[in-house]
Amino acid sequence: MTVHAVAVTPGRRAVRGAWLARAGSLRLTLGILPLLAAGVLAAYEGPAGDYATWVLVVPLALLAGNLLAAVASHPAFRRQGALLVFHLALLALILLVAASRLCYLKGTAEVLSGGEFAGLKDREAGPWHRDRTGDLRFESLGFSIAYRPGLRRSGTENRVRWRDAQGIPREQVVGDQEPLVLDGYRFYTTHHKGFAPVFSWRPGTGTADVGSVHLPAYPEHEHRQWNEWRLPGLAEPVWVQLAIEETVLDPAGPTAFRVPARHHLVVRHGEERVTLRPGEAARLAGGELRYLELRTWMGYAVFHDWTIPWLLATCVLAIVALAWHVRCKHFSRPWRPEAQAEEKGMEG
Amino acid sequence: METELRLLWVAIVAYVLSGSVAIFGLILKRRPDGFVLAAMAGGLLLHAAAVALRWDRLGHGPFVTLFEILSSNVWSLTLIYCLAYWRYRAVRPAAAFVMPVLFVLMGWLMLSSPEEGHFPVTYRTPWLYIHVGLSKVFLGCVLIALGMAVVVLLRRQGLALGRLAGLPPDGRLDDLAYRFMALGLVFQSLMLVSGAIWAQDAWGRYWAWDPLETWSFVTWLLLAFALHLRLTLRASAPAGAWMIVAVFGLAFLTFFGVPFLTTSPHKGAV
Ligand code: HEM
Repeated sequence: MTVHAVAVTPGRRAVRGAWLARAGSLRLTLGILPLLAAGVLAAYEGPAGDYATWVLVVPLALLAGNLLAAVASHPAFRRQGALLVFHLALLALILLVAASRLCYLKGTAEVLSGGEFAGLKDREAGPWHRDRTGDLRFESLGFSIAYRPGLRRSGTENRVRWRDAQGIPREQVVGDQEPLVLDGYRFYTTHHKGFAPVFSWRPGTGTADVGSVHLPAYPEHEHRQWNEWRLPGLAEPVWVQLAIEETVLDPAGPTAFRVPARHHLVVRHGEERVTLRPGEAARLAGGELRYLELRTWMGYAVFHDWTIPWLLATCVLAIVALAWHVRCKHFSRPWRPEAQAEEKGMEG
Repeated sequence: METELRLLWVAIVAYVLSGSVAIFGLILKRRPDGFVLAAMAGGLLLHAAAVALRWDRLGHGPFVTLFEILSSNVWSLTLIYCLAYWRYRAVRPAAAFVMPVLFVLMGWLMLSSPEEGHFPVTYRTPWLYIHVGLSKVFLGCVLIALGMAVVVLLRRQGLALGRLAGLPPDGRLDDLAYRFMALGLVFQSLMLVSGAIWAQDAWGRYWAWDPLETWSFVTWLLLAFALHLRLTLRASAPAGAWMIVAVFGLAFLTFFGVPFLTTSPHKGAV
């Protein structure tokens, strides 16, 4: 029994060792690195979607396998601790990036000034993302955007209010470099913002409902300030256009984003067409539509990715280890050209 | 603006003088090292004054227009090369090959408009200085390696034997060049990470494969490939030198080609 075990174990080990060495061969690394570069360029130039994912996933998986086998088998890693840490950190980065792609969420939202966040407008997420945006609550209290001459955006300040974990109301100014972070979801203000007429709608019999219509972004779509929406109980959509009667953002000098004081709305419903100023109402077939006021809305880029702090920590570890390795291996001994060559050089 | 430009042109004359004397020194087998170093350092001081005046006038550093980016890169690359020139005597003749690379940037700088540009709001962060500073050190490291690589390659072709033949042997130059390549990898990695942190703050995404991010990552992979090739296949000094030329070429195209071919350097930057 014992004799048998002694005879077999080293053989298996040797076979496993040979396989590991082959899988962790640095020649393989030399093949995989260009493959990954080609994958990156193909994903960048080629069509998006599954194709872009696979041309990156395959070389990264090969790289991870090769790296793991090399770490287990290559003697260089036993001699050079910092190099080992660097490569282990690279391996961790590949795993974290994979986790990031499975769990991230990216979306957009629009929130009326004085209104509450009411869900995402668009979203794109990894298959493992558990969407909790439905539970998030915050209120936008309005924003200011300063422009330098020539309509150069120079600073966005958006005041927001939310309740913390203890239920205590908190206020914060977000914008440009500072997002609002709620339960790991990061809300970034964007250049996408505009005007929103606020209406009350009283159907024939019943109580009035208040709602707003977000017009296309301003000044980006300055000449397309209209939108269509459906009122409860009406079959046909209502179309509304904002007619601005003054210069809101004058490119000639410094200016700030603001609601135009002089403006009116053109509202169309079927054959009916009315002009409304703030406070005025129109009788549409089926109810009364009152134009209350003009407000603004802010567009947010929303992002969630729990891997971010881990990615950063791993990158820092990788770079510190790399720097240490470079210091030990390349810069620990002074560089001395051969004395003879140096002398020749002097003469030259 | 007049004074700034005048200072800049005088600085460029000093750089060109320095590079030209280095080239003639190589051809005529003279050692004008002191003059080359002094002209380079003098040019740097004048150039620094020009950049400082402009910075003070506009209230922001040289980060926005083509003119500013080229000017700051000419300055930083010359500074890094000047330090290497002063520190490593044996590689001084390589100035004859390195300075012409900088001449290309200087010529381009002279053709670009010195008008003021718009300083985007996302640039108001310390990450601008960290990210840009690290990228300059990275390119400087690869530029120093390039000088040695060119010496190795010319010697291999049997060209410019005289003074080049007297330099340390190829193996030694290769060793020094790859010290700077390895150092370059450290700075390039730092540059990529600081850029990702900045992108997360400014645009809500740390990485989005925009043209500059994509090409920087490919350059990073090529640099890793070069280091591995040298270790794994025990690549000869000329093979190592060709890899350095390739890495520098790709880094140069990423720095100066990509941003000026696309409308904005980073997608959604402004
Ligand atoms: C599958 C992937 C990889 C494997 C299996 C691998 C393996 C190795 C091994 C075994 C060494 C030591 C060689 C020796 O000293 O003889 C090494 C060195 C090195 N590797 Fe990797 N590596 C991989 C990917 C990478 C990547 C992506 C980078 C990125 C930058 C990298 C950077 C380095 C550096 C900087 C050195 C040290 C070079 C030097 O000291 O001159 N490696 N690698």
